[in-house]
Amino acid sequence: MKRLTLTLCLASTLAIAPVMAASTNSADNPSADYRKQWHSNILTGYQSLATQSQALAKRAETYCQAPSPEGLEKTKQAWLEAFLAWQQVRFVDFGPVEQGNRAWQFQFWPDPKNLVARKASYLLKDDAPITPEKISESGVAVQGFPMAEYLLYDQAFNKGERALPVDHTCKLLVAVTRHIADNGETLTRDWKRFQSNYLGSEQYTDTTIRAAMAGLEILEERRLATPMGLRGNGKRSVYRADAWRSEASLVAADASVRGLKHHFLPAFSKLLKDRGQADLAENIDQQFNEVLANFPELDRPMAPLLADDNAFRSLQSLYIDVTQLTALVNDQAAIELGVVRGFNSSDGD
Amino acid sequence: MPELTRRSLIKTAFAGSAALTLSGCNILPQKAGNKGQQQYTGAIGLPDGGFAVGAIAPDGKMLWQSPVQTRCHSGCNRPGTAEVLFFERRPGWAFYVLNSKTGGQLHRIEAAGGEHFVGHGVFSTDGRFLYAPVNRYESGEGIIAVYDSHQRYQRVNTFELNGTGPHQITLHPDGQTLIVGLGGILTHPDYDRIKLNLGTMEPALILMDRSFGEILARFQPSHHQLSTRHVDVAPDGTIYAAYQYQGPAHELPPLVAMYNNGRYEEIAFGEAIHRELGNYIASIVAHPENDLVAIASPVGGTALIFNGRSGEVVEKATIADCAGVEALAGGDFLVSSGRGKLVRMGKGKPAAEIASMPVQWDHHLV
Repeated sequence: MKRLTLTLCLASTLAIAPVMAASTNSADNPSADYRKQWHSNILTGYQSLATQSQALAKRAETYCQAPSPEGLEKTKQAWLEAFLAWQQVRFVDFGPVEQGNRAWQFQFWPDPKNLVARKASYLLKDDAPITPEKISESGVAVQGFPMAEYLLYDQAFNKGERALPVDHTCKLLVAVTRHIADNGETLTRDWKRFQSNYLGSEQYTDTTIRAAMAGLEILEERRLATPMGLRGNGKRSVYRADAWRSEASLVAADASVRGLKHHFLPAFSKLLKDRGQADLAENIDQQFNEVLANFPELDRPMAPLLADDNAFRSLQSLYIDVTQLTALVNDQAAIELGVVRGFNSSDGD
Repeated sequence: MPELTRRSLIKTAFAGSAALTLSGCNILPQKAGNKGQQQYTGAIGLPDGGFAVGAIAPDGKMLWQSPVQTRCHSGCNRPGTAEVLFFERRPGWAFYVLNSKTGGQLHRIEAAGGEHFVGHGVFSTDGRFLYAPVNRYESGEGIIAVYDSHQRYQRVNTFELNGTGPHQITLHPDGQTLIVGLGGILTHPDYDRIKLNLGTMEPALILMDRSFGEILARFQPSHHQLSTRHVDVAPDGTIYAAYQYQGPAHELPPLVAMYNNGRYEEIAFGEAIHRELGNYIASIVAHPENDLVAIASPVGGTALIFNGRSGEVVEKATIADCAGVEALAGGDFLVSSGRGKLVRMGKGKPAAEIASMPVQWDHHLV
């Protein structure tokens, strides 16, 4: 990016830094090649999110035009596929996904106050029209996968008088899935436009690695350890997992790890090898496979695994495999590469 | 971003270059209420995942640790007493009043309904009134809440800031003017720490009369996403503000501003240094004994000292996860990090680690 900056020019000793336009020339920008690969791999993930989200919106519309039990099942399936496409790229926490809190729009979580249910009940309490504008101004708890999940899966809600395919609820479902689809499309478009800034700015290498580190940490700590009762009050609770309504917490974890493997690991592995860390790269690669070997066996609802000590062991195995992967990436590799995710640097205050 | 580029032209300024005349150069840096007490206090994360407030001597020796219920952020010393306050991290539901000699907890004061603290506060020079920036989270209005320590920290007043997201506050050497960093970012405790208004932020540096709450001046940074979080003031009244840029990482706007003699201006250190600061400054401290100002960026893992009169960077160090800064007697600074390091640095004195302990120092030392 070219910027004109008049440097404060006072004392003769003041060094004036040359203002450099960002360059994509790999000679003075040696890590641009990694970012080129990341950009392309993440684009693939975003395109899949866009496609699956469009399919979800169309499926919801079709179902609501002529409701049927089969149509509902197909809509749920389309929701799951789009949601898993999001899980694959959920680790990307920089760039266009930051604009307008898009990441939060796709998935508002955690939701300890059950805002999703409260917002749904508020939006459905009268028959005021549900418009795209209304969705846009209703906040992130309304705008993404958790709201659609609530309408499609929530057991209490679906026993009540507002259950699908009641007209007003259908309108909300169609509007929310349309919002998701639009976000998927603009995110993909904006990610393409982001390419030159991403390739031209050296600091995005660290940013990308930190994003993967944060994704692993969230998976280990918040998506697994917390519902497993390994943190806080020590009680197991599926309600502290994400996607508990659709019982997709673990299949989503599977997708997130696969997403990191496909959209992050290739360039990261190459970077490690180029820095003389071929063994570490190999270990990380193997550990990804160790984690993924828990699946598809563990693509199951989490609640029964939390309720039974025997079944819980399989969850523990997954957790241990994830902690080992996190240790390899967030501790060993990060230290080798000098990338820090710290107590203060990840705080934001 | 043509708008940003146009607006971020940095004014050349500083007509005179007369050196400041400082008194008391031979005594300890006089931060509010710390007269005679040679210690620095900070919030810490403990190895077991718990949290505390800890005090250290300037040589890096830990004097005490006082456990707290949740992660704290910053605080303030109460002048004329052996009391130090610490605020819970945003959304802060309470502040702690501690005995600064022993760490013993004297009070835990909860925020009023519909309000939360944001991690900072400052006392009047007589040590009676506490001024704490607060978020009224349903309306998103920032206020200064006034508490009377003579009445067991009863709430006695509320000053409107006409803005959102106040963060650090300090007191001008005139003893009357409050200096408030208004970050401009709307948050709500139901929504984690999501920034809800990045497109429409209106950050500012605000000067406010502490008796009546009248806003005396309001300065806006050169871009609406330069969240004006941290502030400090030199003994001559020069005010410094430090930003956290909320825009894309590849843009490198100025991150420090100063206000002096009626002029508010931003200081650019050049792109190379801006890149090392990662668009984020966690602390800014003007040394009371000289013209030096120190800043720390945990995102960039960089701490640096610049000359407040020339803007020239005079010392710079790479310190992973560094955030807390305090002035040391004699003209140096102490920098703390989330990795338990305490580092001393000064003009012509490269960073020297003076202690490393198994705690995580949180954002600020007071």
